[in-house]
Amino acid sequence: MNPQPAEAFARLEGVAKSFGAVRALAGVDLAVPPGRMLGLVGHNGAGKSTLMQILAGALAPDRGSIRIAGRDETRGWDVRRAHGLGVRCVFQELSLCPNLTVAENARIMHPALSGWGWRRRARALMRAALDALFPGHGIDPDRQVGSLPVGQRQMVETARAFSETDTAVRLVILDEPTSSLDAAAAANLLAYTERARARGIACVFISHRLHEILGHADEVVVLRDGQVASASPAAGLSEAALVERMGEVRGEEEPGATAATSRSGARRLSRPARASLGERFGIDVRAGEVVGLSGLAGHGQREFLLAAFAAAGHGGRAAHGEGAVAVHGSAAHVSGDRQNDGIFPLWSIGRNTTIGLIRRLARAGILPLRAEAALAARWREALSIRAPDIETPILSLSGGNQQKVLVARAFATEADLILFDDPLRGVDVGTKRELYHHVRAAAAAGRAFLWYTTENAELVHCDRVYVFARGVVTDQIPRAELTEERVIRASFATPADLSRHGG
Amino acid sequence: MKPISYIGRAATVAVLALACGLSGAATPARAGGRSTAQDGIALSNSYAGNGWRQQMLKMWNGAAGYATHHHIIARTKVVNSNNSATQQASQIADLTLQGWKAIVIDAASPTALNGVIAQACAAHIVVVVFDSLATAPCAYKVAYNYVSMGEMEANYVAKRLGGKGNVLEVRGIAGTSVDHDIHEGIVKGFAKYPAIKLVGSVHGNWTQSIAQKEVAGLLPSLPPVQAVVTQGGDGYGTYAAFKAAGRPTPLIIMGNRQDELALWQKLASAPGGYQTFSLSSAPGVSSIAFWVAQQILAGAKVPHTVNVPLLVIRQNELAAWLKAVPAGGVSTPLYSQKWTEELIAANLSGKAPPASPIPTGMP
Amino acid sequence: MAAEARARRLALRPGLALPALAFLLMLGAIIAAEPRVASYFGLTVLLGFAMPAIFAALAQMAVIAAGDIDLGIGPFLSLVNCIAATWLTDRPAAGLAALAGLVALYAAMGALIHARALPAIVVTLGASFVWLGLAILVLPTPGGAAPAWLAAVAAWRPPLLPLPLLVGLLAGAAAEWLLMRGAYGVVLRGIGGNPRAVARGGWSLLRARMSLYAAAGLAGVLGGLALTGLDTSGDATVGGQYTLVSIAAVIVGGGEFTGGVVSPAGAVLGAFIMLLTGSLLSFLDVSTDWQLSAQGGILILVLAARALRRRGRA
Repeated sequence: MNPQPAEAFARLEGVAKSFGAVRALAGVDLAVPPGRMLGLVGHNGAGKSTLMQILAGALAPDRGSIRIAGRDETRGWDVRRAHGLGVRCVFQELSLCPNLTVAENARIMHPALSGWGWRRRARALMRAALDALFPGHGIDPDRQVGSLPVGQRQMVETARAFSETDTAVRLVILDEPTSSLDAAAAANLLAYTERARARGIACVFISHRLHEILGHADEVVVLRDGQVASASPAAGLSEAALVERMGEVRGEEEPGATAATSRSGARRLSRPARASLGERFGIDVRAGEVVGLSGLAGHGQREFLLAAFAAAGHGGRAAHGEGAVAVHGSAAHVSGDRQNDGIFPLWSIGRNTTIGLIRRLARAGILPLRAEAALAARWREALSIRAPDIETPILSLSGGNQQKVLVARAFATEADLILFDDPLRGVDVGTKRELYHHVRAAAAAGRAFLWYTTENAELVHCDRVYVFARGVVTDQIPRAELTEERVIRASFATPADLSRHGG
Repeated sequence: MKPISYIGRAATVAVLALACGLSGAATPARAGGRSTAQDGIALSNSYAGNGWRQQMLKMWNGAAGYATHHHIIARTKVVNSNNSATQQASQIADLTLQGWKAIVIDAASPTALNGVIAQACAAHIVVVVFDSLATAPCAYKVAYNYVSMGEMEANYVAKRLGGKGNVLEVRGIAGTSVDHDIHEGIVKGFAKYPAIKLVGSVHGNWTQSIAQKEVAGLLPSLPPVQAVVTQGGDGYGTYAAFKAAGRPTPLIIMGNRQDELALWQKLASAPGGYQTFSLSSAPGVSSIAFWVAQQILAGAKVPHTVNVPLLVIRQNELAAWLKAVPAGGVSTPLYSQKWTEELIAANLSGKAPPASPIPTGMP
Repeated sequence: MAAEARARRLALRPGLALPALAFLLMLGAIIAAEPRVASYFGLTVLLGFAMPAIFAALAQMAVIAAGDIDLGIGPFLSLVNCIAATWLTDRPAAGLAALAGLVALYAAMGALIHARALPAIVVTLGASFVWLGLAILVLPTPGGAAPAWLAAVAAWRPPLLPLPLLVGLLAGAAAEWLLMRGAYGVVLRGIGGNPRAVARGGWSLLRARMSLYAAAGLAGVLGGLALTGLDTSGDATVGGQYTLVSIAAVIVGGGEFTGGVVSPAGAVLGAFIMLLTGSLLSFLDVSTDWQLSAQGGILILVLAARALRRRGRA
């Protein structure tokens, strides 16, 4: 690991943290030397943000120790203490109050800004910090933060982290600080961190833009599944090497039954490539196919699914112009966020299954209860939902079985196209296997699936995978060519990369 | 109880006579000598949401309309609040600023308007309160003796039950002086009959639908009830609740709503008959309050409290009253300026009040 | 430069211009209809009943600043009214102790809402019945009398400025200074905007919410006292409508239901506006039956205008 342990400003040892049954960190060691920048990378859910929240005092670890400036601070480590020792954090979700002005937000972070004339001092402090980091920023310290565009908010939050009142800044954690900055501002920030390091300030830098990490960090730590996968000097590392360390070996699972590889089925969904965005791949889904959507979370996959669903509800086409989604046939949508937009918590399994079918089942406005019950029972059987009968309240089921009910609902609608929005998040392995099998069987029977998943291992069940980055499809991978490395590479692709590869 | 028989007879006579109550009654601003032809009298009313209050407003408009038409006063205005004392207080403050010579008030609270009434008095405005009174000392009061109404009900019920039995009390809007006084009279009246038990009490808000709902809600927990004392406007609802619960109809004191009188008539003509009596305040009291205000403005001598006799209807007068009250209405006379002058004189001299004028239904 | 910056800051304050303009327009219309209003006496009488509404609005604003809403402030004013018209007159020490206890109860309510993560709308609705019940216990039937000093204060005619305007000015300025200018006020408003950001600044959210609720309780006590001084007596049901009036005043004054966006000066103006809505109809000889509809209509108009402006900006 780090060759100079005695000099580390901050040192975490054996830090572990679980949220319920989910283990976010499984014993992580991390040392941040003064005046150095540590790059921290890892795939979604690798534990980066959790680790940084612990270092910043916003989360308490379950196990492990925290040493700052050579002293054990594990007991009583919280945000106030961290601030007192000069540890600052720019969190991934911004930590500004939108209803306060820029200067007032500085007050939230600096208890020392009080008493007579604090407002004037806060204004001067933020103006100076913004000037130092982002020359020509054009941000009025009296503007309400909520009225600033997101890029300027990011600048305010970053500048605030580097501002000093009564305590000196010793360590700044930057969690995706450049994600919403334009190129010039990002360059300003990175240049400033070089100067800060010269003054002995340590930085931890998290970014999905690997070239930024490689170009500016002194050392790069790769997290994978809540553990340190590697730690090495940035010099001599390549993006390819990092991607390889972030990924894992291909899923052990063999693809299900023979896939319907031929693209001969009826077209169910299509979206042409949007050349104006530099997109080279159109999306095409045919009957009998299982098509995967991948990429980092929040890069447009969910919006695409919703657009497709809306298109199905509006006679096949949601919007005109470039990139309009066309859907042929009916569609059903299954959400992984079952609590918020999935189940009817007070209803039985049966009613939860058949709700999408009420109109079709109804005869002259009356619902034939027997037919409804038979249908629900058939799907309970088919998906082996573990419940005594279909009258059982849905909340008495385990999470995995609740999710099965939602899948059953989609299957029961007999829709031509089923849209999966990460439906197996937080579902146990056994249930997942069963559902993979059912998806395959339904596809073989002529249904089409469009399946967004955050778990790369699930992609092996797809005939074809589209990778999204910044709302744009950056790669189309047939199953035969599917590797995790290729998925990750496409996930990090920039528009510039796209044009470089050419058509 | 001398006044009761007196008024009862007077009413009967008036109904049968069917003479015009107002014709030739008033001479502009007679008493006291000062002309009120340039003055305005406003009404601040706390609540307009039931039949009694609606009828009260009509009677006001009847008297005030007559007065403006005959140039006794220059103008009038009615302001209603939604049973909110603070809203009414700020409305009275507005009236104070608008230059009204007199403000007549049916109050939402006996006390909460006192500050603003004192303010109006200080601005030399004549303030007359009636029906639901306010206690401000500077205000003239046109008052029913509601305590005696409660006592009369209690005495009647005790006599009919032979001094023994269970009684349910249906009250009016909580917190008003009317409700407070009637209740006090009832308790006082029954105090003389230890064998009569008040087994329950609900607030019917002088409204049939509310009385029905409240009584129906309480009935299952009550022992057999022999009689119900009411405050008017709630008799029919009470009967409906007893009927719906399958209980025998008790002795219910009636008010002066047409539906109550019609019910009484129907029960009385059914086999077995039904005997009760109606005791109520007439909504026409607003016209008395109007004329009292006018008399004060005209410089007449007016006592600080003008007592108004209650409206009593007995079994033998029922048919005559029913004829004069349209369906859905409330029976009341419209009092004239002349009648009010006689009432004031009777109050001053301590004599019996004048005979009630003819009831006018006024839809 | 400094003056320009100050002017810009004032202009940036959430919609203060709109309520100020509305207040002046309504006042102008009333004066046009009845010139005698435009006098010291006229304004005192016209605006007198704004005083309890001003404090009720400021109390509501403190709770809305925390991102909550208080459905119990009206009955709370009634309770203070009943205590002030009885205990405060007969046993001043006990009365003062009871009023201080009420402020503490409000702070405790804030602590409960924070600690158990309960919806404030439910807790304060429950509390409204508690306040009403206590008020009826203290004073079962309307009556009592305000302490002489309180009635004297309410009837006081200060030089130059009519009392209601003076009270509005002082209360508004104090609230502005504490919540908008003060260093801790920023933290208090912050919890309505982004509680996590405030917590990550190292502040206690519990303490902040308790402070806001205690401030609401204090403003509620002042409102109840003002009401008592005006009415000169007690009534357990007198304050009911202040719940909705206070919410409307905060919103009309430029506050938002969520996000800690509030304006003390706006809330004071909002209280005046809600009062004048009724008066304006009366002075224009429109039936008062329209008053509730007019108040609701103004509220909807303000919200619609704000939504339009926001869309225009976006």
